[in-house]
Amino acid sequence: MDTNSSLTPDTACVAENTPSFFDVCKDYLIRFHFLSFLSIALVLTFWHIISVYKIFGGTFLPTPWAIIKEIWRLTGESLIGKNLFGHLWASLRRVFIGWSLACAVAIPLGVFMAFNDVVRAIVKPIFDLFKPMPPISWVSLSILWFGLGEESKIFIIIIGSFVPCLINAFNSIQLVDPAFYDAARMLGANRRQQIMEVAFFGSISAIFAGLQISLSLAWSCVLAAELVGGRSGIGFLIILGMNQYKPAMIIAGMVVIALTAWLITFLMGHIEKLVCPWKRDIKV
Amino acid sequence: MKAHAIKCSCHSVSKTFIQKETQAIHVLKDIDLDVRENEFLVLLGPGQSGKSTLLRIIAGLEQPSTGEVKLNGKAVSGPGPDRSMVFQTYSLFPWRTVRANVEMGLKFQGISKEERRVIGQKFIDLVGLNGFESSFPHQLSGGMKQRVGIARAYANSPEVLLLDEPFGQLDAQTRYLMEQEVLRIWAMEKRTVLFVTNNIDEALYLGDRIVIMEGKLPGQIQTIHENPLPRPREHDALPFLKLRKKISDLTQLTL
Repeated sequence: MDTNSSLTPDTACVAENTPSFFDVCKDYLIRFHFLSFLSIALVLTFWHIISVYKIFGGTFLPTPWAIIKEIWRLTGESLIGKNLFGHLWASLRRVFIGWSLACAVAIPLGVFMAFNDVVRAIVKPIFDLFKPMPPISWVSLSILWFGLGEESKIFIIIIGSFVPCLINAFNSIQLVDPAFYDAARMLGANRRQQIMEVAFFGSISAIFAGLQISLSLAWSCVLAAELVGGRSGIGFLIILGMNQYKPAMIIAGMVVIALTAWLITFLMGHIEKLVCPWKRDIKV
Repeated sequence: MKAHAIKCSCHSVSKTFIQKETQAIHVLKDIDLDVRENEFLVLLGPGQSGKSTLLRIIAGLEQPSTGEVKLNGKAVSGPGPDRSMVFQTYSLFPWRTVRANVEMGLKFQGISKEERRVIGQKFIDLVGLNGFESSFPHQLSGGMKQRVGIARAYANSPEVLLLDEPFGQLDAQTRYLMEQEVLRIWAMEKRTVLFVTNNIDEALYLGDRIVIMEGKLPGQIQTIHENPLPRPREHDALPFLKLRKKISDLTQLTL
């Protein structure tokens, strides 16, 4: 087939017994995606039937099609000064501010903990104490401390994303194969060069995994914070839907949340490939 | 005669690892060994005979519990640019291309980019990896990975090359090919080589001298054999097989 030639990888791939990219795609499409589409179609059909026969009574479960129409309606309509995109942006903005602040502190701290026994001995017990507290349990306190404005929501996000970020930074430094340090020492690397070459590059992809996990946690935290108090954001839309007895609006909000989370994961995956090009064609 | 000048020597080197703060494991006991300049010395022994630990002590990656290692008459206290190592697990930096891996030692020593490129290319060509400079290690087969390992070790222009079971993870065919390659490279770029293996054939094929380790801990030198077979050697030639029989009778190694 002539489509084959365009799929040839641009780097010299000489690994033994690796099926070609085209084979993998074909295999994937036939075996997994077909079944996936089928199962999603079944769920939607099932949902539609439940909805049409009013098994949950009244209009409390709208049809899938009604949800799509509701999302479309919300993009046009202004609710408390913002349409759907305005509210989505309000949530995203909080997530990015809180998450970046958390990462900016947690990653260096995790790295220091891995390298320095003193820092580890001081920070770890405090951290272990706070670790089992679910971030959402901080919502009430943060409202008392910071009110209903942006600060309280950003605070919750920082609490929620700090922990996974720090754990991953700490672990990823510790899990770098000691053989790489030996190799670097044999090549004449001093302490600083060992850290710059081995510790940095050896841990970066695991640190990146931590960034991804903490970002999705931050995303669920912001919604929890908005559900409790707020005048904007997707969580607020869901509460508005509940107060106005509009289940379609609630589910529309949930769908937008899920789609956004998926998009974030997708984007982070691509950024990781840019940051760590050596992982480009490792197949999991 | 200059050919018998001593390059590197171990003086009653012992090594004890302390496990769980109470249990002492004696890995090496009273190792005395002279390594001659530009010879190909093979350390032969089964697993758990302390031969890799001895190599790591000579490398400077481990400190001996007692005794000392001397290189050119000076005591070794840590890794240095005069020694390079090739690892059984390759230990190539997966985040670097073949070229960057080979040039890494030169980079650590602050050698300019242009100079690095010239030296790096020389050894990439020497090990036969021309055309794979921009590949990442995971894209290479085991044999090619170890070619990178050898080029990386050579690029630092060491006086002593330490190879720690470098072909242990390769299949028999590739292993044999790599043994030929390592001799070809060694013939072109003569260095003092210490080669650790558990394979009698490999030891006989490669070594000028073969140091046989006791098959149990603590690791001790059993005997040292001169290997007078002329190169290139044939695995199935009668003198080769006779020497093989002699050595395998001395050891429990059946491989």
